[in-house]
Amino acid sequence: MSRSNRWFFFLIVFALLLALIAALASGPVSINLSSALAEGWHSENSDAVILWQLRLPRALLAIMVGAALGMGGAAMQGMLRNPLAEPALLGVSSGAALAAILLLYYGVAWQSGWLLPLLAIAGAFCSVACVWMLAGRGASASRLVLAGVAINAFLSALMALALNYAPSMFAMQEIVFWLLGSLANRGWDQLLLALPFILAGAALLFAARNYLRALSLGEATAASLGFRGRRYPLLVLAGIAAAVGAAVAVAGTIGFVGLVVPHLMRPLVRQDPGRLLWASALAGALLLLIADILVINIVGAQELRIGAVTAFLGAPFFFWLIVSARRGQSL
Amino acid sequence: MKQILLLTSLLLSASATAYERIASLNLCLDQMLLSWVPAEKIASVTWLSADDHYRSAPLPENIHLNRGRAEELVPLAPDLILVGEFGAQRAARRLRDLGMKVVSIPDAYSLKQLQEQLAALENALGPLPPLQKQQRQLQELLARPVPESEASALILSANNITYGRGMLEHQLLARAGFANLAAERGVEQLGRVSLEEVIALQPDLLVLYGGESDFALAHLAFRHPVLKSYIDGHRLYTLPAELGFCPALVAADVLKQLTEKRKKLVAQQ
Repeated sequence: MSRSNRWFFFLIVFALLLALIAALASGPVSINLSSALAEGWHSENSDAVILWQLRLPRALLAIMVGAALGMGGAAMQGMLRNPLAEPALLGVSSGAALAAILLLYYGVAWQSGWLLPLLAIAGAFCSVACVWMLAGRGASASRLVLAGVAINAFLSALMALALNYAPSMFAMQEIVFWLLGSLANRGWDQLLLALPFILAGAALLFAARNYLRALSLGEATAASLGFRGRRYPLLVLAGIAAAVGAAVAVAGTIGFVGLVVPHLMRPLVRQDPGRLLWASALAGALLLLIADILVINIVGAQELRIGAVTAFLGAPFFFWLIVSARRGQSL
Repeated sequence: MKQILLLTSLLLSASATAYERIASLNLCLDQMLLSWVPAEKIASVTWLSADDHYRSAPLPENIHLNRGRAEELVPLAPDLILVGEFGAQRAARRLRDLGMKVVSIPDAYSLKQLQEQLAALENALGPLPPLQKQQRQLQELLARPVPESEASALILSANNITYGRGMLEHQLLARAGFANLAAERGVEQLGRVSLEEVIALQPDLLVLYGGESDFALAHLAFRHPVLKSYIDGHRLYTLPAELGFCPALVAADVLKQLTEKRKKLVAQQ
């Protein structure tokens, strides 16, 4: 990594810290941040409760989910060697969301504990495996996107169907949450539920970083370098499913993060798929946290879904990337 | 004296049984009929009454469930059709044109309208003892002077909705001696309240709405650990779901329970 790139990553980390402070200071109620911090975790003072029980878990959840989505997108693009691969676009998030919907609305509700992320991960794994098998090895971008769009459309239809027949009166209106995501009213319980699985996913992807590097030279070269068999693709698939599945289970489907962030970070890591994983995790966390700050400050209690904001933030970057590609630069 | 009472009760029961095949085109009227009128006298209620979310009285077997269409009711030959103020108006017009007796009962969004609704229902059905009991109960409660606000309350409903001035729920809180914090913050009718605002406002009583047992993200705020102190401190009250779609059934009970809750809270303080 060059010196300028290193500075850029320090800048992202610094921006993430600033965004965290902004997130802790944002909300419908004006609080004294420093005294609330000093009051501590166990204080019953309303400012401290708002800070420690409401704002902090929400901001950390945004960081965690953003990191999972960014990292998942980078791994997917690396494994499929396709710049359009993204968890939400290719149905991975829909698979996780469908599993979560079936469990929550027809099963054992929010108290289901570990079952919720586990089932969501299984759903994500099944859908990413379906896309992979449907498109076939070394699929062209168009075939892969076609397979992903088909799986995504089918799973979205199943989600709508499941919510339509769910016993809850609110189920149908909540399809918006599952399609666009939200961090509203989330607490430490949801954060702690998803955290171990996202960390496990990150560890699996980290373990597969050299495979992703080798794969960037082509499948045959990767095989000649010792990355043969199904072990490595399965490792990546499991990593993506664990990170993205757990994130979707608690925050719904949030699009664009996994698509845009790896593209933005790739030049900064000199196209290295291994480094791209953690760079995308950092940038994904930053993007989602900024999106959540905008959600909180712009629309208040009647919250705009965070997926809409990430699309607002992400789309202009993507336009820029496309225009750059048309001018002859690489995408 | 006994003879007069006997005669009066005979007259009352005679007028209560004046209609033998009553049909309803309104969910709330369904529930009132099912609660207060003998089942054999009900010819049809709306399909919504078969839904567990709305059913507050047992649904007789083989009762006809209508979807608010005139052609469904004609073959049933009801001798009285009750219709609400807004829904199924076209069907009501058609049935009137066909010479059937259709009576419109006003909806209720305030305590005054609630009394008017019960009076209109009594006019249509005749003097039914359970209906009269409900009317009496409500009148007695409303005749009492409005107490000074001794405690504060805030309603947190599904999707973080709260109830302000101009709503029946606000009137019930005020009548029970609570200051509705949403109304004090200028909320007219319905408004939104975030969990942060709930914590910052520190109401003495947090009022949740509806006993929805099925999972919904709309109720996620209710489950947030930040409200634990309200649950542990018994500073929570849940308004019955019926208050939302048929307040006549439960308004008196809710007012009594809220008043009791206020007394307990004040005693604790």
